[in-house]
Amino acid sequence: MNEIFQSVTIGHFLVLSAMLFCLGIVGVLMRRNSLIVMMSVELMLNAANLTLVSFSRFHNDPVGQGFALVVIAVAAAEAAVGLAIVVTVFRTRRHVDIDRLTLLRN
Amino acid sequence: MIFANHTTSNFRLGLLKNLKAVLVFFLIALVLGFANIADAATDGHAAQSSVEQSKWVITFFWALAGLTLGSALFVITRRNLVAAVIGMIATFFGLAGLFLMLYSGFLAAIQVLVYAGAIMVLFVFVIMILNREEDEPWAVQGLLGKAMAGIGLVYLFVRLSKVLWGMNKAKTFLPAPPAEFGTLEGVGMTLFTKYLFPFEAVSLVLLVAVVGAIAVARPHEAGHKIAKHKEVAS
Repeated sequence: MNEIFQSVTIGHFLVLSAMLFCLGIVGVLMRRNSLIVMMSVELMLNAANLTLVSFSRFHNDPVGQGFALVVIAVAAAEAAVGLAIVVTVFRTRRHVDIDRLTLLRN
Repeated sequence: MIFANHTTSNFRLGLLKNLKAVLVFFLIALVLGFANIADAATDGHAAQSSVEQSKWVITFFWALAGLTLGSALFVITRRNLVAAVIGMIATFFGLAGLFLMLYSGFLAAIQVLVYAGAIMVLFVFVIMILNREEDEPWAVQGLLGKAMAGIGLVYLFVRLSKVLWGMNKAKTFLPAPPAEFGTLEGVGMTLFTKYLFPFEAVSLVLLVAVVGAIAVARPHEAGHKIAKHKEVAS
């Protein structure tokens, strides 16, 4: 147990990213506000980025960082489109509550 | 009318109340960031290549990990959306610090610029457009579902951590990377030579996203009326 605090290894970063990913999952599954859900998705993308950068450092290979850059760009695109959808939903329904968006169910 | 007034005053009150937390978050992030850069500048490469890690590196890692996880927890538990955005920004600063510890300075800068600077501003704009209070933030779907979700989540985390922690056995202490690793030059050489096509594809993705976002968010009178009619009918 003590050697965990003795030094910082690549495993520390990887387990931290696993924790961040699980927090993102909790946010996506438990929250009803779609904006918070989108923020939780961003958290999960960031956790994936941390893993990519950790492995990039582990292998001393810059390709992982290029991949992380691509992930950041795709996250930006996802945020733009997702927020546009949220605004449209709000315009027609006057709320953004995910549990009440059941138009496709019936 | 009264309700609307009440909402705005609550919104402002929440903003004021969270101002202190915001300042603390930013101070912590700034101090950690600068201290980290100073540390890397003075003895970064020398300390990393030897087996013994400096105490500062370990302290910074735990502080940044605490900042990242704490503010992520802050994000998913807040009712006030502005507070959640502030927590998100603190998470990004913590992650940028972690990227710096992994010798990825360029990515750390991009993280702060794109995420904290651009995406979160977009979120704040949408929150200002909506400006609604939540009545019930948590999805309540029975104890059984929650218990199963919790067990599944813990299982996922344990399995994930086991696989990832297993990486430690291969190499515990890493030698310092080559000098251009993680700089603008190193990442640029990768992106513009061997991986030029994915880089260009990303620009296409961004273009499509911009066009799609405008097409979706544009006020659309006919569609608006149809949707309203359907909502009344259902």
